[in-house]
Amino acid sequence: MATTAVTSAGIASEAPRSDFGHVLAQRERRFAAALLAPAFLALLATTTFPLLFLVYTSAFRMDLAMPFTNGFVGFENYQMLLSDERFWTSLLVSLVYTGSTVALQVIIGLALALLVMDMKRGQGWFRVIAILPVVLSPAVVGMIWRTFMLAPEFGIVDFLAINAGLGSKNWLGDPTLAMVSVIAIHTWQWTPFAFMVLLASLASLPEDIYEAARLDRASAWQRFRRITLPLLRPAIVMVIIMRTMVALTAFAAIFTVTAGGPGTATEILNLYAYRKSFTELSIGYGSALAVALLIVTIIISGILFAMRRAK
Amino acid sequence: MTSFKPTRRTLLKTGTAAAAFATLGPAFLRQAAAQDADLAPYKSAQIDWQQVSGETITVAVIPASYFENLIALAPQFKALTGIDVRFEKIPPAQIRQKSVIDLTSKTGTYATHAADPMYYALYAANKWVEPLDTYLADKSLTDPAWFKLDDIIPAWRSANGIDGKLYGMPYDGEVTIQVYRKDLYDAKGLKPADTLEAYTSNAAALNTPNDRVWGAALRGVAGAGQNMYIYPSIFREFGGDWMKGGKLTVNGPEAEAALAWYVDIMKKYAPTAAANWNWPDIADAFSQGTVASYIDAHSSASVINNPEKSKVIGKVAYARWPKGPSGKRTTSIWNWGFPINSALPEKKRKATWLFIQWAASAETQARTAHKFAGPTKRSGVNRTSVWKDPDYIKLMNGFGENFVEATMGALQDDTDVDWRPRVPQWPAIGDTMATAIQSALSGQVTIKAALDDAQRRIEPMMRG
Repeated sequence: MATTAVTSAGIASEAPRSDFGHVLAQRERRFAAALLAPAFLALLATTTFPLLFLVYTSAFRMDLAMPFTNGFVGFENYQMLLSDERFWTSLLVSLVYTGSTVALQVIIGLALALLVMDMKRGQGWFRVIAILPVVLSPAVVGMIWRTFMLAPEFGIVDFLAINAGLGSKNWLGDPTLAMVSVIAIHTWQWTPFAFMVLLASLASLPEDIYEAARLDRASAWQRFRRITLPLLRPAIVMVIIMRTMVALTAFAAIFTVTAGGPGTATEILNLYAYRKSFTELSIGYGSALAVALLIVTIIISGILFAMRRAK
Repeated sequence: MTSFKPTRRTLLKTGTAAAAFATLGPAFLRQAAAQDADLAPYKSAQIDWQQVSGETITVAVIPASYFENLIALAPQFKALTGIDVRFEKIPPAQIRQKSVIDLTSKTGTYATHAADPMYYALYAANKWVEPLDTYLADKSLTDPAWFKLDDIIPAWRSANGIDGKLYGMPYDGEVTIQVYRKDLYDAKGLKPADTLEAYTSNAAALNTPNDRVWGAALRGVAGAGQNMYIYPSIFREFGGDWMKGGKLTVNGPEAEAALAWYVDIMKKYAPTAAANWNWPDIADAFSQGTVASYIDAHSSASVINNPEKSKVIGKVAYARWPKGPSGKRTTSIWNWGFPINSALPEKKRKATWLFIQWAASAETQARTAHKFAGPTKRSGVNRTSVWKDPDYIKLMNGFGENFVEATMGALQDDTDVDWRPRVPQWPAIGDTMATAIQSALSGQVTIKAALDDAQRRIEPMMRG
């Protein structure tokens, strides 16, 4: 009985305290919610709402040039999109552009990081110089490459090509070369990002494992294959994910360099959606294209994230 | 400018300021803004300029010297009417989009804006802008004897009209002419081309890439106002008709022949880079002496005569568009005009019209051109009477031999208002055609395939 009394007393004496604590916690939560609310609303208004509105718009025919034809069309824009050759071409261009720029950035970035790791002096300087292209605005990068670097007969790249015996090339006027050029520009601008991330990861790798490998007479290549690459894997996958999402939605540099040309040779999906919406003024169809790009981006990054988790 | 102030005061006192004023340009004009004598030419109009005094309007223009000159005169307008004008400068590439967004949302942000004539069909179909005939006919708003609408270059007026109604008042415009290096032509005994055929043979005769001189250059970069600014003239000169049997047609034998001529001259005699050039790039190359001739807007003359950059000053001459196989010339005509935004309340619409009337008047055109105190020359004034003014002719002939004759000849006789298809769907059609032309130029597809594909894409746009 006594125990029960104690217990019940204990419970009795504790019950108000936990109630009080509960109330406090609830108040705190409410206060936190109140603090968060403006930011949350701002986020809703600037990200979620426009996104929903985009999806909503894609279900309408909204053609500024022919306002009398506007109205709800359901999935018609998407049906049109499936049979639109230019959509498939631009999707293919997007995938080629993204795949090659990301691969190049990782390979060149890793090679540079490995080289710089072994540098005894001037590492700091090299890092500063290497990061410069990232700081520039893509539109400025586009202008520089278009006018100073790639112009046939007048540009630096063409000058080098002529001196190397390759002859003058129409870098932006030839469909294949134009694609190569925009890939090179994007890679030039964004490799430093991969380089910096991979260099930081490389610097944090434990030296003792390499020591052990050397004692086991592992060659440099074996050490790279069996130790460096597996340990860098999380960093590499992260770089791939981040760069893929940006490359899929690239715009400014490609817009200033080729505007998708010649013809449609470098017209990535993002650019096609822009042209449909703002140059041709077909807002509804343009929205459907933008939603398609969103879906493609979500699928690809979903796959990459799944790869990241799988060991 | 501040460093000049003491000098100015001293000069004012001694009464020998006239010369110094000229060099001070806009500052002088602002100072003199409120002087009644300055406003006299406007006050002779039989209208009440002050009828909506106190209104404020926003005008979107592009950052170009011809609009800068107008902005410098704005204080005079304020003194005359009591209307405040706020100018917003938007680059040409964005002004179309920004104004379309403003007009669609009916926010009335821009009372008027520098408008592309190819957009009036779209504006009129949506009733976004006001037909100007009601304003022109309203005796309380316009004094026809003073404003003299007929004096405004007819080609530009018709380009800004839809079904006989005017929707935008031309402020500054251009026409496409042949520009050539007289010294190079003379050395080989060549004459400016009278036909497209002769233009090609001239280009061939002068094309010496090893000496870094190319025979010709035309706009190559894709865009409704870029390669699609030059190609339509060629298409029409080859006998093409945009509205064949009432149906918009962009392919067919005439189109193929026209595009073949364009691709041929660009591939054989233009610098390879020209495939990506717009008019400033062409004018730059010409001013550096690397291009023997080009066909483009007459307004590029100011670039090739820029004393700081050009190496060809004094060696330039002009001629009209060469004739095509159809025997006619069809030049590209274009202007920046001012429409009235329909979303405005009535008083603001009146204020906007007074502004447009002021800007387009012969007096303001002269004051922003040869009578302007600043250094910039306007080569696109909208009035036939100004083009006949000896002072203006003298100024313009400084650009090179035959400049005024070629420009006026082209404006009066070589125009065809339907040189591009004037339909509301133009933005989409122009862009589709521009892409097709560039595809053919780059060899991505054949000429016929490019045009047939464009036709396939354009048909659903027209069906609605």
